[in-house]
Amino acid sequence: MSSSSVAQKRLFHEYRNLSINPPEGIFAGPATEDDMFNWEALIQGPEGTPFEGGVFAAELKFPKDYPLNPPTMKFVGGGVWHPNGDDPNHYEHASERWSPIQSVEKILISVMSMLAEPNDESPANIEAAKMWRDRRNDYERRVRDEVRRGLGL
Amino acid sequence: MSDDEPSINIPSLLTLAVVSFFVIRWFFNRDSGAGGSRAGAQGRPRGRVVDPEQVEQISQMFPQLNRRDIIWDLQRNGGSVAATTERVLTGRGLEVPPPSFQPQIPTPSTNTAATRASASQSAKQQAQDLISRYNLGSRVEDSSEETESSQAQGGWSQSRNERQRLLQNRRDEMILAARRRLQQKDREAAAPPSASPS
Repeated sequence: MSSSSVAQKRLFHEYRNLSINPPEGIFAGPATEDDMFNWEALIQGPEGTPFEGGVFAAELKFPKDYPLNPPTMKFVGGGVWHPNGDDPNHYEHASERWSPIQSVEKILISVMSMLAEPNDESPANIEAAKMWRDRRNDYERRVRDEVRRGLGL
Repeated sequence: MSDDEPSINIPSLLTLAVVSFFVIRWFFNRDSGAGGSRAGAQGRPRGRVVDPEQVEQISQMFPQLNRRDIIWDLQRNGGSVAATTERVLTGRGLEVPPPSFQPQIPTPSTNTAATRASASQSAKQQAQDLISRYNLGSRVEDSSEETESSQAQGGWSQSRNERQRLLQNRRDEMILAARRRLQQKDREAAAPPSASPS
């Protein structure tokens, strides 16, 4: 069995689990079943943070040898004003020890917790990191604005 | 024999220093001469001239970047758009140039003004909201009737089309529900506190 069909099976299995038992505040699935290697995902902003109430869209691209290697993830649409913002591999900081036991669900949950607690040590969006550190009020206001804009309000 | 070595080395080192001084001087004179003749017409300061088109190109890709930072980076890496792009994409960001660095920031001519307009437009498109991304505009209007009953729970079907429909429905509902909650909050905030004690 080729690795790509292993990946496909595994992805289908995860897709099924995520559909039957969707985790709180998380949506994920293939953009179309014709291509199981491209997913779209939604993450709700964690409560008690300026991201609360927001919904953030992301694209997940899986390698052909998933789950040996992790997918890449990118926020789309309005993006996210966040110190670890547009770093395409930002979730790897949280799960640098990627292992095949990880899953889409775990990745998305770790991204969610990253929104709540930025990793100040390796900021991808330096401007946002500075703002987060030095002008927290401005940072939070900007995040709230973007939450609204993301929902077309 | 070994006593001779230092006495030979010091003069030869001196010679080397003098020769390289002249070589470097010649090299830089030639460089600035060439640059000067090109940039002289526009009265640019000495130094490598950064192509305004490259600056424009990067600025279009990353509208959030400061043009001065872009010019600084291009000047330092020898005018390589690819290197600057790579640097931004890998999240290292651009260095802040020293205050003494005051390049002529290309003033947008009518031509570049047009491209800048389209750049900001594409940036806006990129920063589109989820309602337009997933074509939910029509469903935003009649959101009042779609209440919690349609709150999509998990679902799975043996039929592929049905699965796809369930999935999309769940996605759309998550966005619309978030929007409704935010609107609800706005209404509560706008209402006098006596009306809604919550």
